[in-house]
Amino acid sequence: MTNKDNEPQDSARVRSRRRVNQRLRDAVSKETSGDLKDVEIPPKKLDWMKRTYQWGVKADVTDSGLTIGALNVGIYGEIPDRWDDQSRMPRGAYPMPGVPPIGYSISEKRDLWADNAADLYEEAIQRRWTPATDIPWEAIGPLPDDVEAAVCQLCTMLCQHANTEIETLGTWLHQMSYGYHEVKLFLATEMFDAARHFEVFRKRALSNGGGLGLELKGDVKRMIIESRGGWSETALLLYLLRGLFTFTIYRYGSILANNDAEKAIFEKSVQDKARHLSYGLEHLRYAITRQDDKDLVFNNLLGIGERLVARECKEPIVLEPLAVIFGGGVEGAQSGMRTAQRLMSDYVNLYLSSLRSIGIDRSDSLSNDLKSYLL
Amino acid sequence: MTISKEELDLAPAVREFGEDNNLDLSWLDTRGEWGVRAEPSKRGLTLGDIQLGSYGEPGDHSDNMTGRPRGARARNDAYRVGGYKIRSKADIWLSNAHVLYEESLQRQWSSATDVPWNTIKPLPDDIERAQCQLATFLTEVEFVAAEVPGRWLAATTPDYFEPRMFLISQVMDESRHLDVFRKRAFANGGGLMQRPNVTTSGTVGSIDLSNDFTEMSSRLHITGEGSVLTIFRMGELMAYNEAEKTIYRLAAQDEARHVAFGVMHLRYLAETEPERKEEIHCYLDEGEGALVAGNQNPASRDTAQSEALAILLGGGEKNFDEGYRKLMAVRKRQAREYVQRVRSAGFGERFENGRANQELLAYTR
Repeated sequence: MTNKDNEPQDSARVRSRRRVNQRLRDAVSKETSGDLKDVEIPPKKLDWMKRTYQWGVKADVTDSGLTIGALNVGIYGEIPDRWDDQSRMPRGAYPMPGVPPIGYSISEKRDLWADNAADLYEEAIQRRWTPATDIPWEAIGPLPDDVEAAVCQLCTMLCQHANTEIETLGTWLHQMSYGYHEVKLFLATEMFDAARHFEVFRKRALSNGGGLGLELKGDVKRMIIESRGGWSETALLLYLLRGLFTFTIYRYGSILANNDAEKAIFEKSVQDKARHLSYGLEHLRYAITRQDDKDLVFNNLLGIGERLVARECKEPIVLEPLAVIFGGGVEGAQSGMRTAQRLMSDYVNLYLSSLRSIGIDRSDSLSNDLKSYLL
Repeated sequence: MTISKEELDLAPAVREFGEDNNLDLSWLDTRGEWGVRAEPSKRGLTLGDIQLGSYGEPGDHSDNMTGRPRGARARNDAYRVGGYKIRSKADIWLSNAHVLYEESLQRQWSSATDVPWNTIKPLPDDIERAQCQLATFLTEVEFVAAEVPGRWLAATTPDYFEPRMFLISQVMDESRHLDVFRKRAFANGGGLMQRPNVTTSGTVGSIDLSNDFTEMSSRLHITGEGSVLTIFRMGELMAYNEAEKTIYRLAAQDEARHVAFGVMHLRYLAETEPERKEEIHCYLDEGEGALVAGNQNPASRDTAQSEALAILLGGGEKNFDEGYRKLMAVRKRQAREYVQRVRSAGFGERFENGRANQELLAYTR
């Protein structure tokens, strides 16, 4: 902070810190020269001092600071295809025998890896935001009751989307081997983002004379939560089927927003969601290119998943609130539904193009229900 | 609170409009409590500000198995997909989780850019090795505190979302701690060293295997993170540059929040379910044993990390004895802070009735 106004405050803080630290030093010094003066000191072993696989490593500090990706030098950058260690031994540390296992079920790189995870982790931290103070809540003014009800119903649904993401990541994160810490770190940021989305949409629903709406029946949540075959399969459903839908709604935020607060909410949320999808797509591409029949497995799952997504989208609480918001009220809902249809068309097109980008073409096998949304 | 189709009270004109335009619109009249208007306070619009009416504090037990947001309108046909083991408030609640969560958002930091890495200059070999040994230890143990709370997220009903949100912020904080200590190990011509031999293993009585949230929290937040917090607070004594001082200072801020969560949760439990106090004392018995003898405490004796700390505190291998005395001063401080926390949580009787670990208490004198 170089702002002149802050200088006295900063100096006071630094002075205060110095005083606290001096007191700490004095207290320790008093103890070591008093009670602890004659404490029995065990003989030094120092056998650990030579226990390293590689010494002399100096990671480069770049314009973006010292990033986690920059640490991948020498043997510390060797990321094996399989990580057999069943404990939390840091990658590249000197192992010690006899450590009881914890039990990680995901130990193959192909089952979780994405080359961009380290960069996305740092980006997530740089782009952090706070719903309490980064949203101009005072910009929210009274809305017609039907529009407010639609916004609140949309917020209720988006809270549930975020909740599903939290519970899904919470289920899988601890099953992933520590050897792939870049992915674990990134997914921690994703969970934190999802918590913020849960928070911000709840706050919006409760800030303007409205309240929460009706819960979803839960077709898509059930599909994602009950997907237990592997992280890649769950990721397919979480990112491609649900994630792209949520992302598309956020992208329509500039049309959905009734004020600057809502605009800011969607702008910030879409940034986060783009990162999540970026990891998801990169991982799915990685998984497909390293396993012979993975694309077939994915195709089968998507065939079922598409029908469930379509079923959920037919619930009145999914598209009708969007239509009311787009139309400026119930009376405009019919025209608003045309915008909602366009949103769905964009979602399905994005879904198909994203699939193509990871090597899956479903343009001929897309479920009829989803195909019907294409304009 | 559930509603059937027949109960809907949609305005006739709206219903008619819906029918004419192939719209259902029943959701317009099927919602949670209405007319809520939270006002931002001086800290913005916080979770505390939106705890209004039926959206306020949850009940003592939750029957929410579908994952609906607290206060949303339930429906009879929703799938019960939430595998929520924690549906009793006392199992996870504390009075200020929402405050701690908001604070964590305000105090997020970046290990890449908020640490002045350029202040790290070449250090004597024994000091650098000691720093790297300590960093190796911390990059492993800090991730225990990231991984374990994460397991409880999907097991907790979203009706108790405030503590759940806080635990997510802890996962984030501890991920950053893993990251920053790994960075320190590679920032100055060193590398990773010997990993601890049993610190984070899956053995009975460990943080990992706890089947009850409060059991886990008593071990993780009170004994485990509490002891690490003392080390971080003493960072000034073992840091050799501004970068290391910054790391310890920022990590201590985070750690203090996590410890506060554990203390406040234990306090809530002690007040609302005093019949569980004896059980919690058993967990504390084990935790104290680990504090004194176990390898979970960086300041415990005769481990690679305690020798590393002695070298750092003393100013080099040649001053090992002086460093060791300082290490014992750290341990005394750890013990005193632990006692203070447990008293604050409402379990102070163990220090009066002879139950507390005597070796631990000896450090407090």
